[in-house]
Amino acid sequence: MKRTFAITGLCVGGFVILWLAIASTGVSPVAAVQDLLRGSLGSPKAISDTLREATPLLIAGVAVFLALKTGLFNIGVEGQFTVGACAAAAVALRFPGALGMFMGMIFGIVAGALWALPAGWIKAYRGGHEVITTIMLNNVAAFLTTALVAGPLKDPSQESTTTASITDATKLSHLYNAGPWTINSGLLIGVLLALALSWWLKKTVSGYELRAVGANPTAAATAGIDSKKVMMRAMIASGAIGGLAGSIQVLAFQHRFYAGISSGYGFDALGVALLAGPAAIGLLPGALLFGVLAKGSTQLQILGIPKGITGIVLGVLIIAAAAIRYRRNKVVES
Amino acid sequence: MTLVTVLLSTIFVAAPYILAALGGLASERSGVINLGLEGKMLMSACTTAIVAGSTGNAYIGVGAGVGAAILLSLLHWLLTQKFSIDHVVSGMSINLLAMGASNFLYGAFANRDSGSIPVLPTLTLDLGSAGKFTVSLYLLLAFILPWAAFSYIKRTRAGLRLFAVGNDPDKARLMGVRPLRVRLVALAVTGVLTGLAGALIVSNVGRFSDNMTAGRGYIALAALILGGWKPIPTFAACIGFALFEAVQIQLQGTELLGAKIPSEAWQALPYLVTIIALACLWGKGRAPQGLGKP
Amino acid sequence: MDNGGSIRNDAEDGRRRVKFAVELNHISKSFGSVRALEEVDLHVEQGSIHAVVGENGAGKTTLMKVLYGAINADSGQVVLDGNPVTFKSSGEAIDCGVGMVSQHYGIIPDLTCLQNLILGAEGGALLNLSQAEQRAESLAQKMGFQFEWRRDAAELSPAGAQKLEILKLLWRNSQVMILDEPTAMLSPADGEALFQSLRLLVAEGKTVILVTHRLPEVFGHCSRVTVLRGGKKVAERAVTETNPAELAELIVGKKLEAPSVHTPVLGDLVLEVQNLDVRGYRGDLATKSINLKIQSGELVGIAGVDGSGQRELFRALQGTASVVSGEIIFGNIEATKLRGGSRIQWGLRSIPEDRHSEAVIEDWSLEENASLGLQQLSPFAKNNLIQEKERMSEAEKMALMFQTKHGGLDQPMSSLSGGNQQRFVAARALWNAPKLILAFQPARGLDLAATREVYEGLRKACDNGAGALIVSYDLDELLEHCDRIVVMNRGELIEPGQGQERDRNVIGCLMVGAA
Repeated sequence: MKRTFAITGLCVGGFVILWLAIASTGVSPVAAVQDLLRGSLGSPKAISDTLREATPLLIAGVAVFLALKTGLFNIGVEGQFTVGACAAAAVALRFPGALGMFMGMIFGIVAGALWALPAGWIKAYRGGHEVITTIMLNNVAAFLTTALVAGPLKDPSQESTTTASITDATKLSHLYNAGPWTINSGLLIGVLLALALSWWLKKTVSGYELRAVGANPTAAATAGIDSKKVMMRAMIASGAIGGLAGSIQVLAFQHRFYAGISSGYGFDALGVALLAGPAAIGLLPGALLFGVLAKGSTQLQILGIPKGITGIVLGVLIIAAAAIRYRRNKVVES
Repeated sequence: MTLVTVLLSTIFVAAPYILAALGGLASERSGVINLGLEGKMLMSACTTAIVAGSTGNAYIGVGAGVGAAILLSLLHWLLTQKFSIDHVVSGMSINLLAMGASNFLYGAFANRDSGSIPVLPTLTLDLGSAGKFTVSLYLLLAFILPWAAFSYIKRTRAGLRLFAVGNDPDKARLMGVRPLRVRLVALAVTGVLTGLAGALIVSNVGRFSDNMTAGRGYIALAALILGGWKPIPTFAACIGFALFEAVQIQLQGTELLGAKIPSEAWQALPYLVTIIALACLWGKGRAPQGLGKP
Repeated sequence: MDNGGSIRNDAEDGRRRVKFAVELNHISKSFGSVRALEEVDLHVEQGSIHAVVGENGAGKTTLMKVLYGAINADSGQVVLDGNPVTFKSSGEAIDCGVGMVSQHYGIIPDLTCLQNLILGAEGGALLNLSQAEQRAESLAQKMGFQFEWRRDAAELSPAGAQKLEILKLLWRNSQVMILDEPTAMLSPADGEALFQSLRLLVAEGKTVILVTHRLPEVFGHCSRVTVLRGGKKVAERAVTETNPAELAELIVGKKLEAPSVHTPVLGDLVLEVQNLDVRGYRGDLATKSINLKIQSGELVGIAGVDGSGQRELFRALQGTASVVSGEIIFGNIEATKLRGGSRIQWGLRSIPEDRHSEAVIEDWSLEENASLGLQQLSPFAKNNLIQEKERMSEAEKMALMFQTKHGGLDQPMSSLSGGNQQRFVAARALWNAPKLILAFQPARGLDLAATREVYEGLRKACDNGAGALIVSYDLDELLEHCDRIVVMNRGELIEPGQGQERDRNVIGCLMVGAA
């Protein structure tokens, strides 16, 4: 009871802070929320854009979620996304057409998996915390891809550090494109991935074993599960999905690779995964919410509210969700 | 490039790492995993810039920055100890919160036309051919505090209790120590130190920019881990990182086997070294046994 | 005097005015819906050793924690030296001269012995370690103990840790010392030495409350005894006025039948261990060249004090510890390098030592926990797919086997009490004709009746062709239920000679390496 009170207090406190923050900029909070919603969900065009924003977040969210279920915090999706995007662009540029698209995705997946491998190995066999190693790998990925896109992969006809654009035939096609509506196949891939992960975790023995490792590695080891191997595999799979997210970002939306393509997707994906709750299905509304905030924040900036407000919203939401989730009655034994 | 330049540059670069890593030490020694160092530094940097910029007083600015970091640190205590939220989750959400809040606050309240913010008084040493070297209060603190922290843990009651709570909160409680209170103090100390680190970073640049701590909080944490959660080795690890960074700045543009090495390769070096160090050196330092425990 | 002896004694007591160091009056405490203590009284004379006895779960530890301020009672009164007190924390109790040594010790291994000694009573904001060491040394000399104060407490043996605990009480100037099962992890000889120290302290006017379930300790060393059962005080006696039989009956509530002697029908070898060396937590050898054979049909007990290498032996058999050298053979399969999963596939089952961390996943439902460890086996799985219907029905059977009380199989494991979790874990270990069962303190958290049931279950599995290896720190439990007992001491496994497999004295000597 006391705890419910405290959690309610925490949520109300967060809400009040947000309210005051918006009000302090001289904008009515109600108007801000209206604008946010109008900007993100107010028209077919806005909804299409929101879904487009949500797509990489959803796929990257699946990546983080998978690792999270194994008890691993894959903060490295940022880096896996970046190397995946870079690999996909490089391959897609070399082999224009459907083959290039397909190979781009494969190479993106492989690049992401390879990028996650050291973190998985160090965690499982050397005991080094994956948060630190993945953050370091993010930095290395950023520098490495910047060097590549400034050097061998650079489009000589352009000033900025970017690759050339891939040909139309190489692009990942739209699922639906009529009038103001544009929905890319990438979204479908993301939704299918989330559904598949949800099913796999619940209904298969390997999913069961992965969750066991995440919930209690010692008990999992006693149950004959090779926790280290599972951790390793989960990290690599998570990296592969992160790489896929990056390759789809290139093949479906950006059509080229440039330095800083990820713009914080990895961290946002962590937020999506933390908001998702216990089941992978929760990733869908989680990613949508992030998409709404990302798209709507442009609208808020026009009103004069700095875009950091969305970070505060997300922080408050994640904390509230975590506080509610970890509420637990302690069984006291004598 | 001379040895002296590299050394001075190392000292300069190391200071924020050392302050932040010692902040992490206080918190992790008490058993709270602290991934929120980054966010606390960022929050302090932003607050320092806003307050120092608008009041024109460096002391008030730094005080406000440290205060903001302490507030964030107390939120961290509340989340991990009172709401028993996973330590990694609470640390990361604090970072997210700080990233958003610093951008928001600076965008909404900073006086951006005022140019460089006022900074605490410094002492400039003229080293002749090696150039000039500025000694700030932060620098002094960064080089004194590790030794102070060492004696604090070894020689004071509070240090012993901090150590005990971090190792086994339940047993410490049975001996009449109050883990929640010890952790509250520890996290407040983390707030002070990360606050100083953030203020230092913004003072060096003169103005705030988004995400200006640039992952230093995570590097500091890596140094803490490599240093085995002990003050002096952690200090050494920070110096090691800083040395890499200093050397890297000097090495940019050099050629190897006739090919120009891209500057990014040098920039990535400290991070690569961290990964390799974590892969090789783990197990030398023993983590506090109660890390992450309620 | 014309009165009988006992009356005269009472009259003398009356004149001396018996002085109670501790009076607990009408203490009650509930955890949720469970009444742990109900109107319990405990009166302890100053300068005596007072025993508090009862089964597991009788409320002994809870009552002591109330006195120590670690648990707040719902109602009742605590009186120290005639003054009513209320403790909000252990710190306050310590300040009033109450000290407690808990069952699992309060020693923090990463601190030095000296740091452990002074923690919580440092005497000032700055530590004066050399002065502290002098005082520590003089306390130790008085008790006849020896310590290397600057070394990590991790290096202490169980007996050494126990001695340090006693010194911690002295350091805090405790007048009332609560010892919760102090000999549970000690060898008989170390236990005897402990009581010598306690007598020394009592002679100085200190008061000792001894929580135990070992009756010889009560009769050998205590002056009065209070019996708790089911959270209530059922009796208080002067030790001279009672006898073991009466006390045992008071503790259990009803007379137990003597266990029937069992002659197992031995079959093929199910386990053979040859010259097994396993590395321990600290990197040294935890088991030294162990040889052991178990045939189907027999229950083999491993006696020994805690930390003699039982844990590492079990982990090596489960496949969760790496073997340095030697061989493990299951039936006729060379299993030394076999993965844990394959061992379970072959027929290995276990009741792990630490229920919370090894046996169950507390956030998961009972149903999901039912297949933990068995997840690869039919009928739980088919082509990597979980068979939910089958899992449900198997989980139902497991819950029924030892009458696990639960609020639905879809409820999380954490909603069960420790004893009920243990019943479920034991049932899971007996599932589907196991070939070898490893049970580490299978009776942990169970009352006597449930303990019996679990051992009967083990016996039945053995009659059906399994072999069982059981670790317990309670020699009497092993003597009661096992066909044969082997002993582990400092990593070595010793088999008593022919005909001595159940000889209490021989085994007791082997446990401490005195044979």
